[in-house]
Amino acid sequence: MPPEPSPAAESPSGTSRPYALALAADEQTLIAAVLQKDRKAAAEFVDRYADPVYGYVSRRLAPRADLVEDVVQEVFLIALQKLDTFTGQSSLVGWLIGIARHKVEDFYRSQLRAPDGFPDDVADAISSGAPHLDDVIDAARAHSKTRRILEQLPVAYRAALLWRYWEKRSSKEMAASTGKTEKAIERLLARARASFKRLWETS
Amino acid sequence: MDEERFFTMLAETTDAAPETAERAPSRLKSQLYSAMVTEQAASGPLRSLRDTKAEGRPLCVFENVVQVVPNERITSMNPCRICHARILAEQFESPPIYWPHCPYVHFQRR
Repeated sequence: MPPEPSPAAESPSGTSRPYALALAADEQTLIAAVLQKDRKAAAEFVDRYADPVYGYVSRRLAPRADLVEDVVQEVFLIALQKLDTFTGQSSLVGWLIGIARHKVEDFYRSQLRAPDGFPDDVADAISSGAPHLDDVIDAARAHSKTRRILEQLPVAYRAALLWRYWEKRSSKEMAASTGKTEKAIERLLARARASFKRLWETS
Repeated sequence: MDEERFFTMLAETTDAAPETAERAPSRLKSQLYSAMVTEQAASGPLRSLRDTKAEGRPLCVFENVVQVVPNERITSMNPCRICHARILAEQFESPPIYWPHCPYVHFQRR
C-alpha cells in the first residue's frame, strides 16, 4: 500500500517538493526499522514494494512467468543485504528496480550467450519501412499486442529487443556484456526487428 | 518513421500503459516476507515484539501472547515460523486466514 502523504505534504501531482520530502522521510523511517530487524517493518516493506518490482520483472521477462517469482525473491534478498548502503539519492522503489534491472540483464545476457542464442531460422530480409504507430496511440492495445508478439519470438530475439529498446542499452553495451561483436548484435537486432514487424503487420 | 524510432516509441508507450501495473500475487508477498524475516533471524535476534508494539506497530493475537513472556530471547523469536497462517498464505492465493494484524492476512488485501 503506498504511503499516505500528510495533508500538508499532499500534492495533486504527487511530485511537489514537500511531498517528495515527506516520502523520503517516510522511507528512511521504514528502512531504519527494517535494519533494526522489526518484522512488521519488513512486512510493510514487502507490501509497498513487491508490486512495482514484480510488475517490472514480469514485463521484462514475459512470457517466462516461471522465472519471475524467483527473480523477485532474489531482488528482495539482495536489497535486504544492501539496505544499509541505500543513500536515499533515488527513491527506494527506483533503487529496487535498479537491482531488478541487473537481474533481468543477467537473464538477457545468458540468452544471448547461449549457443542457440542467434537463431538462423528466421529470414534476414528487412523491409525498408517500419510498422505504423497508429496502433501505438492506444497504449493499452499496443501493450497487449506487443506482449503477444514478443511471446511468439525466439527467446534471443525477445531478449535482444527488450534489452535494446525497453532497457535502452546500446548495441555496443550489449556486445560488451555478452562477449559478442557489435556487428553480431546489430545483425541479431535486425532479424529480431524484422520478425517483430512481420508479426505486428499480420496480427 | 524509421525502425529505431518505432521501437523506441513502442517501448515508451507500452511501459506507460496502465495494464503494466501488475500486482504481485499475495502468495509471493508471503514468501518474500518469510524469506526476509528468516534471513534477518539467521544473523541474530529479531527486534523484540515488545519493542515493536511500543513503536506503535500492532501485533497479531499470537505475537501478543509471545510478547508478554518476560524473556527477551522468546520475545525476539519468530512465531510465524510455526504458524498455520504462514504455511497457508505461502501456498494459496486466498487462504482462509482472518487474524487481525497478521501480515499474511494483510497481503491478501486488494
